[in-house]
Amino acid sequence: MQLSYFRRVAAGGAVAALAFAGVGALTATPAYAATSKVSVVHGIPDTPVDVYVNGEKTLDNFKPGDVAGPLNLEEGEYDIALTKPGEPVGSAILKVDNAAVPGGANISIAAHLDAAGQPKITPFVNDVSKVDAGKARLIVRHTAAAPAVDVRAGGTPVFEELTNPNEAKGDVDAGSVKADVVLAGTDTVAIGPADLDLREGTATIVYAIGSAEGKTLDVVAQTITGLHSAPGGVPSGDGGQAGTGVGTWWYVLAGAGVLLLLGGGARVATARTPRR
Amino acid sequence: MTVRNRGALAAMAAGAAALTVAALVACGSQPAGNVGAEEASTLASPTSAPPAAAPSVPVTAGELPAGAEIVPPVRLVIPEIDVTATVNAVGINERTNEFEVPPSVDQIGWYRYGPGLEAGAGSVVIAGHVDSATQGRGAFFRLRELDQGDTLTATGSDGTARRYRVVAREEYAKTRIPLDRYFARDGKPRLTLITCGGPFDAKARRYRDNIVVTAVPA
Repeated sequence: MQLSYFRRVAAGGAVAALAFAGVGALTATPAYAATSKVSVVHGIPDTPVDVYVNGEKTLDNFKPGDVAGPLNLEEGEYDIALTKPGEPVGSAILKVDNAAVPGGANISIAAHLDAAGQPKITPFVNDVSKVDAGKARLIVRHTAAAPAVDVRAGGTPVFEELTNPNEAKGDVDAGSVKADVVLAGTDTVAIGPADLDLREGTATIVYAIGSAEGKTLDVVAQTITGLHSAPGGVPSGDGGQAGTGVGTWWYVLAGAGVLLLLGGGARVATARTPRR
Repeated sequence: MTVRNRGALAAMAAGAAALTVAALVACGSQPAGNVGAEEASTLASPTSAPPAAAPSVPVTAGELPAGAEIVPPVRLVIPEIDVTATVNAVGINERTNEFEVPPSVDQIGWYRYGPGLEAGAGSVVIAGHVDSATQGRGAFFRLRELDQGDTLTATGSDGTARRYRVVAREEYAKTRIPLDRYFARDGKPRLTLITCGGPFDAKARRYRDNIVVTAVPA
């Protein structure tokens, strides 16, 4: 009797221990929840490349001006290497080891020239928060071998003093704008003008690429959709003719009816009693 | 029968009549009720794409986005409730952040930021006035009378008439309406018609509810 009781307790303890181990195992692996979307943008003029991620060829003959992705990558550190097409990963022309990819983010990795014209890799975290109804997000990234610039929309500077490798962004009315890039503080047009169709509920990311000296300045664009919000409401009537509620006056009428019924009934009742 | 008694009986009769009228009004003004709510919500759920067999990375030319080819609806005909209305492309009221329903109550508005009639997914939204204090009945005055199976025709700017079949009619308090679902750009292709309804607050001059009719390509 006592022995069997002891056995039962021991078994229960073992089950409890197993359960805790299970919880530990589950919480220790952040696994699937932490996947990030990663795009790759090629902004180095005249240099097609193969892209290797962790030693594996991921993109073959990736051309300047192209955008690849998004790839779903789990949170972690990645080795990224670019080679001339067909060359082994060992002879990479550009590489970044242990590039940190955070979980649950939307990232663009740009291969581009720095301000002095040297190839480099810069990761950008994309703002994929919702935009208000009717708005679009414009993000401009300076990834060109060029001095500071201003970005103008319809002739008016909207982003000023933007330098390599930084970005400027803003939520603007959706629609078409004529945009150009000028040397900061001047009217000297470096890129454009170009018509930008900023679709509502999207983020349009424009990269200035190339080299001012080499006269290869250009733009690459990347669009992220699905950032739209619903309107705040749909107000569609102020007449009241279609109102389905029971108006106050009907309650008054019902109340009067009840009073009349009770009053009249009482009268009839009191009038009849004396006759008996 | 005394005079006094007759008066009392008359009062009782008047009371009964008043009660009956009030009760009839109360019953007559009950909302028509929701139909097809579940179907409408199923339409909105994103279609699960089958997992790609080979995880190849899509590569696109990073060109500046160009204007997409969208087919706006220009005319809506709903024979069941005698609606033939011009559809305007509308957006958002800057001040209120709300849907900009056309001020003229005989015209209705298509949400130009959402899908057009050509879209293979998402909700094409058209909203119209139920009525107006100054202009009287609006194009969507009788929208709440639509029922499952009723058909309607939306004609696009391309001249093509597209037929739709009503699958749901729902009434929501404006504070609780799942607008994200009706303004979704994913899920099955569908046409969403919205107007006002429910009890009217005469002081604030606004209806409490929205009436939403969901239709699918017939």
